[in-house]
Amino acid sequence: MKRNVLVVVVVVFVLGLLSIAGWANWQNRVHAALRQQALANQAVLVADNAPGGDSALHMSSPLVGKPAPNFTLTNLKGDKVSLASYKGKAVQINFWATWCAPCKIETPWLVELEKQYKPQGFEILGVSFDDLDNDDPNLLAKEKIDIAKSAQQLGISYPVLLDGDSIAKPYGDSDVYPTSFFVDRTGKIVAASFGLTSKDDLEGNIRKALGEGN
Amino acid sequence: MRIGPLSLALALAILAVKVPAQAQNPFGDLQAKPGSAKPPAVTYLFPEQVSIVAGKPSPVDLHFKVGAGLHVNSHTPRSEELIPTTLKFPEDAGVQLTKADFPPGIDFAFPIDPKEKLSVYTGEFIVHTELVAAKGEHLVQATLHYQACNNDTCMPPHSITAAIDVIAK
Repeated sequence: MKRNVLVVVVVVFVLGLLSIAGWANWQNRVHAALRQQALANQAVLVADNAPGGDSALHMSSPLVGKPAPNFTLTNLKGDKVSLASYKGKAVQINFWATWCAPCKIETPWLVELEKQYKPQGFEILGVSFDDLDNDDPNLLAKEKIDIAKSAQQLGISYPVLLDGDSIAKPYGDSDVYPTSFFVDRTGKIVAASFGLTSKDDLEGNIRKALGEGN
Repeated sequence: MRIGPLSLALALAILAVKVPAQAQNPFGDLQAKPGSAKPPAVTYLFPEQVSIVAGKPSPVDLHFKVGAGLHVNSHTPRSEELIPTTLKFPEDAGVQLTKADFPPGIDFAFPIDPKEKLSVYTGEFIVHTELVAAKGEHLVQATLHYQACNNDTCMPPHSITAAIDVIAK
């Protein structure tokens, strides 16, 4: 009788351990899948095999060729803006920040290009990656004013959306600024650029998004 | 040899303990590859330990290094919007940072816009500090806050810790 009780206790103990093992295994599978997804969206450095032997490194995004992850963010006026509402238009999603010096160099080009290509159905969404202190209303208000002031000084006429950090993950968490994703009229990302590039490069990507380039 | 139910149960128990141990990394090859994690743009070099006179302001030079090809804004950037490099000591460390003299920045311009000069640090830079500590040994976790860029790209603001063992006699 005593021996049977011992066997039952050990069996219950074993079953308990097996349950824990199964749970741990499942958790690891979930984490591994999430890691794999994050890595899959991450931009990577690739060699530029341009003719003429130019083998400079540039960043490439695996998101190119895929549907642009949808998002809804708040603009400087407090209105919700969703990427989905831009379907049918070519969109440049430009990640920038007030502290980003190269962003300030390219912004005047973006303003000009937006004006130039707007009649063809081109729009820019400027997504700010400035930190927002959501827990401190006074600080938050000041931060929003600072972003608005910076946008005004740069002559930005397109919508400036706040809290870019909240959409960083689906866009590959590249952590480099400026970064732009060019979305065609069907909602597919057709090009991405990381860092300060030339106005010509930006224009080429805009034309691609409009279905005019290669 | 006869295997009784108790032995079988014990064998299962041992197996069960081993399974979660193996389950720690069932997809090891999907882990981020070594070196793929972004290293900080700035590293603290030295000193790791300093001896100073207790209760008196004592000069201590802290050495930092900006990664090759990168720059960080100096302590006094030319634009209000740019994030300056700053140093903070925790208030409860038993060591007070009474003075922090940052070096002047050097001029830097992005190749695409050579006219716009920024004030930055590159390579190694030294913060001349003055510390006041009560008698005893204090492990201080100082924080250097900075924002780094390279020739065409910027990274978000970041902080690193400089661990300094301050011995005040």
